[in-house]
Parts: sequence; structure tokens; C-alpha cells
Amino acid sequence: MSKQSRIRTQELRQAQQEAARKEAKRRRLLTALGGLVIVGLVAAIIVAVVQATQGGDSPSSSAPGKVVQPANASDWSIPVGDKDAPVTVAIYYDYMCPACGALEAANGDELDRLLEDGTARIELRPISFLDKQSSGTEYSTRAGNAIATVADGAPEHVWELHQALYAEQPEEGSEGLSDEQIAEIATDAGVPSAVVARFTEDTYEGWIAAATEAAFDSGVEGTPTVLIDGERFEGDVYKPGPLTEAIESAAGK
Amino acid sequence: MTDSLTGRLSRLRHNNATVWITMLVASAASLVASFVLSVDALRLAEDPTTDLGCNINAVISCGTVAGAWQSQLLGFPNAFLGLITEPVVITLAVASLGGVRFPRWFMFSAQVVYTVGLVFAYWLFHQAMFDIGALCPWCMLVTLATTLVFFEMTYVNIRDDNLFLPRRLQSALSSAIRANLDLMVVVAWVLFLVLAVVLKYGEALFA
Repeated sequence: MSKQSRIRTQELRQAQQEAARKEAKRRRLLTALGGLVIVGLVAAIIVAVVQATQGGDSPSSSAPGKVVQPANASDWSIPVGDKDAPVTVAIYYDYMCPACGALEAANGDELDRLLEDGTARIELRPISFLDKQSSGTEYSTRAGNAIATVADGAPEHVWELHQALYAEQPEEGSEGLSDEQIAEIATDAGVPSAVVARFTEDTYEGWIAAATEAAFDSGVEGTPTVLIDGERFEGDVYKPGPLTEAIESAAGK
Repeated sequence: MTDSLTGRLSRLRHNNATVWITMLVASAASLVASFVLSVDALRLAEDPTTDLGCNINAVISCGTVAGAWQSQLLGFPNAFLGLITEPVVITLAVASLGGVRFPRWFMFSAQVVYTVGLVFAYWLFHQAMFDIGALCPWCMLVTLATTLVFFEMTYVNIRDDNLFLPRRLQSALSSAIRANLDLMVVVAWVLFLVLAVVLKYGEALFA
């Protein structure tokens, strides 16, 4: 091997070593970067879990502390219609529950009629177990608080607001309606502005929370649950007809 | 020195048996989950009123997941697809463990088909998280297992040069694999998914 070619081989080897060093350095850098990302993610998960365990406890444990019953309400229910009507229809529902919206859409007009001709009185039993379905805004509680506030201050508008809230029902899992939207719907439903202004005082949030517990303690398993004179109605509530028939037969018509 | 430990872990990770056993376990888990989901779908089809009322468990409500159109994208329960495809992956993993080497075109096709499966699994995961708004533990197991199978299959196919890639890309990818960068990406990705679930549903999960 000539001296020249030996030098060239040596240079080549040096260049290769240099490239390998650079490659190794780059790899170490990427590894460190990846490790950092992983450590950061683990830390974020821990923080999120800790926050979730703490945040999850507070609404349910602190709220029942201040249970204020709305005037005109009793036994976790808000009465609608003629109190001497022969049939009592109790509806357990959550303003976020899509199935409850379907019940309302199918039977709203019929219930209107039965209320008006004095066949039935309705006990609205709002609960808030779907609070987790509104991306942290607790729509079920806010809407329930609104209806309880109206029961307290303007009971003659309860039914209209109830129907209006379902007519504008937000999608499950969305953020729900904002406080402003709820106030607007209530105003459109004829609720006096003085009562609407009290929505944000959240006076009845504890009552809704306690009502939810009471409902599940009494054997309600989900919403909507309909009781006709205390008897659970097992028929199809998602189409017009069966519910009306059951109510009318209970009234002896 | 830590180098020997990481070196040993790295060798274990690149061991042929580790790769196929991981794939085997993940595909078996996916098959079990698909089976449970299929049985559930049949039960619901038999009696649709079973889950009509909203459930007390706040995260799973009103049978929305099972009733959602996404759960039957092709007109039958999605889980049936898992029943059809996962046994193929199991067979592939077992045969490879036994020393069988599949032809290049076979592994390439497996990669293509499984990539479609992965896309589908993640589309479903996304829909469940952001559209249906409910958690389904068996579905999440499928997402995780599909990710692992895809990861190992891609690893093998890059290692064995089965993907008909341009030379420069092929050599860059195989050096990334030797440096365990792929493993890092997968770990970070799975952690990211966990974080997303905890952030969105943590309150309901741990309350």
C-alpha cells in the first residue's frame, strides 16, 4: 500500500468516526428529549388524577350542606297543574338526559291537554345525576336550579319553562346552555325578570343534589322514570299514546 | 453502570420472541374484548329496552354508546370485525414464534390492512370521546391493543425491510428503531391517550 493511499484510508476512517460520533450525539439528544416528554406526560397524568379525585368530591359533599326547599315544592317535587286533579303523574328527569327530551317531545302536547282539562297534576322531580355530561359546567344542576327558582318565585311559569328548556335541550356531552341562554329562555317563557335574576344565586343547587340522592335511594334507577299515582309506568314513553291512555284510565275515563 | 441495564433492556426489547409475544398477547386481548362487545351487542339487539333509562354511572348513560350509529358503521356491530381479524394476527404471531418467515408481500399486506384497522380504531376512540361522550372499557382495551399490535408489526416490517420504502427512508427508520426511538414514541403516545381520558373524564372516573 502506498503512503498516499494509507493516508487516504486514515482520513476516510476519521470521517466515518466523526459521522458516527455525530450520529450518536444526535441519538442521545433525541433520547433525552423523548425521555423528557414521557416524564412530563406522567407528571401531567398524576396532576390530573389528583385534581380529579379532589374536584370530584367537592360538589357532592359540599352541596347537600345547604338544602333550601323552594316555596311551593315539597318532597323533592315541583307541582304543576290543578292540585285536586284525580291523577298524579310524577316524572323523574334530568335536563341533560336525551331520553327525557324524547319523552317530552312525544308527550308534551298530551300532558298540556291533561293538565288543562284537570285530568292530571304533574310532579316535576328534577335530578342532576348527569352533571358530568356537560364538560364541567354542571348543566343539569344549573337548569334544575332555574326551575326550582321559578317554582319558588313564579310557580305559574314552571311548566312553560320546563317545556322550553327541553325544546332547546343541549346535546349530551356538550357544555350545555349557558346561564345567559337559560335566563333568555326563562324570560321568553314569561318568567318575571326579578325571578330570572335570582338564577345565578344558585340557591337551590343543594336541593337538587339532595333530591338526586333521595330519588336513587327510593329506587329510581335512571331517567326518565314516570310514576302514575305512585305506580311506575312501564309503557313506551317515547311515542305519543301509551302514557296518555294510562293516565286517562287511572282517571277512570 | 446503568448502561448495562439499559443495554440488557434494549436487547430484550429487540429480541424476536419479545416482539411476537407482545403481538400475541395484544391481539388475544383484542379478541377477548371484541367477543365481549359482540355478545353485548347481541343482547342489546334482543332487548333494546335493557339500557334505555339513563344509568346512574354518570360516564355511561342512556345506552348512548351502544345505540350510537358509530357502533355499527358497516351495518353490523364493529366488534364483529375484531372477531374476524384478530385470529389472523394471533396465527401470524404464533407461526412467527415457531420460526415461520412470511414472504415480503404477505407482511406488507398485513401492514396495510392493519393500518386501516388502526385508523378505524382511532376514529371510534375519537367519536366515543368527543361525540358520544361516554367511556367503554372494552373499547379502550381494543384501542390500546390495536396500538401495540400496530407498533410491533411496524417494527418487524421495518427491521425486515418489508415495506418497499425508498432506501434513505428505510435506513433512517431502521436506525431510529435501533435507537429505540419508536418505543419512545409509542410510550409517549399511550401516555398522551391516558392523559386525554383523565382530563376529560377524570372527575367522573375517580369521584
